[in-house]
Amino acid sequence: MFNGITRALCLLATLLLASCDNDPHPKALVEHGRDGGAPLVRYTYQTEAPRSLDPQEAYDQMSRRVLEPVYDCLLEYHPFKTDPYELMPCMLEAMPGKQAAADGGVTYLCRLKKGIFFHDDPCFPGGKGREVTAADVRYTWQRIADPKTECPVLSSLWEYLVGMKGANEAAQKNGGKFDYAAPFPAFEVVDSHTFKVHLMKPYPQIIYWMAMHFTCPVAREAVEFYDGEKHDGKRRERFKWHPVGTGPFRYVHEKSDHDNNFRLVRNERYITTKFPTEGWEPKRDSACRPLAGKPLPIIDEVQIRILREPTPAWLLTKQGYLDSFGVSTDAYTTVVTATHELTPELIARGVSLEKDVDVSTFYTSINMDDPLLGKNKKLRQALACATDAATQNEIFFNGVREVAQQIIPPGFAGFRKDYRNPMSFDLARAKQLIAEAGYPGGIDPKTGRPLELVLDTSASGSDQRMMTEFEQKCFEKLGIKVSVIENTFAKKIEKEDKGNFQISSLTGWGADYPDPENFFMLFYSKNFPPEGKNISRYNSAEFDKLYEQMATMDPSPERLAIAYKMVDMLNDDCPIILTNHKAFYSLVQPWAPRTHNNMMLEGGIKYLWLDPALREKKRAEWNR
Amino acid sequence: MADQSIFSKFSEWFEQPFVQNTVVVMGVVGIAAVIWMGSKNEQWRIAFQRFRRDRIGIFAGVIIAIYLLIGALEIIRIPSKEGQSTSALGWIFRSVPQERSYSAPFGKIQLGQDGEYAAALASGDPVKIKAAERYRVVGTHLLGTNALGNDTLVETLRACKTALLLGGVTSVIYIVLGTLLGLAAGYFRRWVDDVITYVYSTLASIPQILLLVSMLLVLGKGILPMAIALGITMWVDLCRLIRGETMRQAERTYVTAARALGQSTWNILIRHLLPNVMHLVLIKFVLGFSGIVLAEAILSYLGVGSPIGTPSWGVMIDGARNEFSREPLVWWNLTAATTALFGLVLSLNLLGDALRRAFDPKRS
Repeated sequence: MFNGITRALCLLATLLLASCDNDPHPKALVEHGRDGGAPLVRYTYQTEAPRSLDPQEAYDQMSRRVLEPVYDCLLEYHPFKTDPYELMPCMLEAMPGKQAAADGGVTYLCRLKKGIFFHDDPCFPGGKGREVTAADVRYTWQRIADPKTECPVLSSLWEYLVGMKGANEAAQKNGGKFDYAAPFPAFEVVDSHTFKVHLMKPYPQIIYWMAMHFTCPVAREAVEFYDGEKHDGKRRERFKWHPVGTGPFRYVHEKSDHDNNFRLVRNERYITTKFPTEGWEPKRDSACRPLAGKPLPIIDEVQIRILREPTPAWLLTKQGYLDSFGVSTDAYTTVVTATHELTPELIARGVSLEKDVDVSTFYTSINMDDPLLGKNKKLRQALACATDAATQNEIFFNGVREVAQQIIPPGFAGFRKDYRNPMSFDLARAKQLIAEAGYPGGIDPKTGRPLELVLDTSASGSDQRMMTEFEQKCFEKLGIKVSVIENTFAKKIEKEDKGNFQISSLTGWGADYPDPENFFMLFYSKNFPPEGKNISRYNSAEFDKLYEQMATMDPSPERLAIAYKMVDMLNDDCPIILTNHKAFYSLVQPWAPRTHNNMMLEGGIKYLWLDPALREKKRAEWNR
Repeated sequence: MADQSIFSKFSEWFEQPFVQNTVVVMGVVGIAAVIWMGSKNEQWRIAFQRFRRDRIGIFAGVIIAIYLLIGALEIIRIPSKEGQSTSALGWIFRSVPQERSYSAPFGKIQLGQDGEYAAALASGDPVKIKAAERYRVVGTHLLGTNALGNDTLVETLRACKTALLLGGVTSVIYIVLGTLLGLAAGYFRRWVDDVITYVYSTLASIPQILLLVSMLLVLGKGILPMAIALGITMWVDLCRLIRGETMRQAERTYVTAARALGQSTWNILIRHLLPNVMHLVLIKFVLGFSGIVLAEAILSYLGVGSPIGTPSWGVMIDGARNEFSREPLVWWNLTAATTALFGLVLSLNLLGDALRRAFDPKRS
């Protein structure tokens, strides 16, 4: 009797052990790849959970990473052409055609590709996704104006789109109910696949909006099925957690939970885009050439995990269970040497290192309404020259970020590679400037005591605290006294909006689209808070004139010349003190080479490829 | 700026050299006064005789005296060039060089691109680069430097000031509150006692650290807000002790005699009862001081404590969160701060115990 139980237990234990291995990932949902072989599954992670997967509502990078592979846009960024960034058609057949309209307006004529279908979902009759038509695009643009959607970019768009503001206001008056049947003058449906977008004035940047997730077509059935009154009585998740898109990957709702993991599988009916046949950097030739012209997506499944702590991500990468890894400060010194190269151990493993420069600029804002700093240009210049951005980058970011010489980040029209900010770090010059400003040695001649300035910061965590202290020390090298006010993040934003500060540390801007206008608008005098983001309250008639001129111009050498001039003006006037452009290193595993390098593209996972056999081999080697 | 809070105005006033020096003088005078007044009290004299034989107590007292001296040196301000002033401690260490960033104890490690490291880079020899990578002699920092290139030893010593100032100000607040309310509750009884007991029971029922953090979020960052917040939470224990002792003493014949002789209530409280509960205050003050020093460290670690630019052990420990994941490991900031903290807190506790033993009536 005992013998029998023992034997059974032994058998059970053996079975349990046999079914165990190190692999932390669940089994793939797709059974076969395109060629009938094993499916290509990519394992990735991100550090925070998305907040919403509703394309008209989401505004953060973590949401975009999950959302953009599921939803296709009308246009998209070219995966390789980043210098300068370039757009290409995605759901449209060709780039929109521009026509002048009456009374100074502009019309864009767009034609959708035929045969694009929404993903299969219970919200459609019979559960089969139907074809996308111009009416869906119209619905989406109406949805942006719908106050219930709370689209964060509505106020930027209604400046230009005909009747957008009116539609929103009508709905506000109607108790928040948007009338989708009412005329919507911004958008005109010509036939089932053709539509026109009407603008009040020239705005060439509208095409970038067509490449942003806010304008990704959604199906009215889906929104109403998940958010509206058409419930069948069963509990159903909201639309924002139930994306129904047209993109290369289908969101598997049953297998995802929006706190920990997301599962995307290949959309079998996807025909919208193909792998480009040219344009990649020479060093990516071996990885990209075999894929040229192939149907997308190349991989069959994506498993996205949320790993909030940096350590597990690094450990999983070391064991070969993640296909790429954004190098965190924790892992930095074990991955990268002081000369910014990969450590020899990792090179021996066949791992490679990629550096990505983000489309953002960080700076310190000076309040131009401040009676002291606003009127004393030399004093602002002295502060700018005293800020040692290179050392700051070295101490706090391991020298990974790019020291900013101009407000425009790399890859944008108007960015000059060899340009040097005339007001960059030079302590001797800073001391001379502060003397010329009327405060020799930092001493206020009226009181005989050091000049006193107030620096506002939001210091959460010791890193930001030390960064502020570093900045304070930089300024105090001029002989002045800088007192720091620590605020909560919300309080600092409030102070910036009200103009209740002298110098505001650690401010910055991440680009919405790769056009210098997106940065220059931060200094346009009509964009004072709370409507706009001109927290420096920079008010220059000449700058305003140039801004108004360039904002509506099509790309041209003249426009570039204006952009250069505006950069020069900002660097000379110093309403801000530039520090850096965000950048980071990523580790790329030998079996999953990078095939695209575009920071504007969060949905670029469709271009990626991997070699599962090599991955198996390396994993076995690394986990011995 | 227009909306400068009362606290920042106060700290501005407080930063003036004259005020700072006065604080030190007042501190010295205060300690002398306590000893002088104690020497007139019979109970204190006996306790002092006993304390003299307590070697651990004497040792702890000497250590605390050293901390006090260092703190006082940092508070004392001496004028330097052009109307500015520097602390006496800063003046003593004025020749300690400023580095660019981290360097290890005895000055061997520095992250950076200049000097030997740049030369090694130029030579292209990987062995040389590896050696020079972060190991470059940059002078003698006994305990290395922190991320901003400040000497860790100097920073650690300077942090004594923050601990002592905070401890001092907080003690003044909570001792005055606790003693007066405790005396009142114990002597008057009835509704006075009810009200005071109700208030301190309510305060005691709220978790202390949560109460502190929420008060600091309202009051803002700084030494004075921290002292106020700590003062409000700390008087409870002292009040409870004093109340009990007062109740006991008030039943004794000398109080009855004083009342029969027509002494005023105020006189009875201050001249008869206060000196007889004062030893409790002294013991609580010494033990409570270590609690305050620890609370400062904890609050700074949570990011609601000392403001930017204030040298503080808690801030140093907080910074070590990132330093511990660096390669090579930056251990010296955490070690220096915790050692200094440990030394002060241990000495205070030992001294407090010694005082309690000395005042213990059971031993007489």
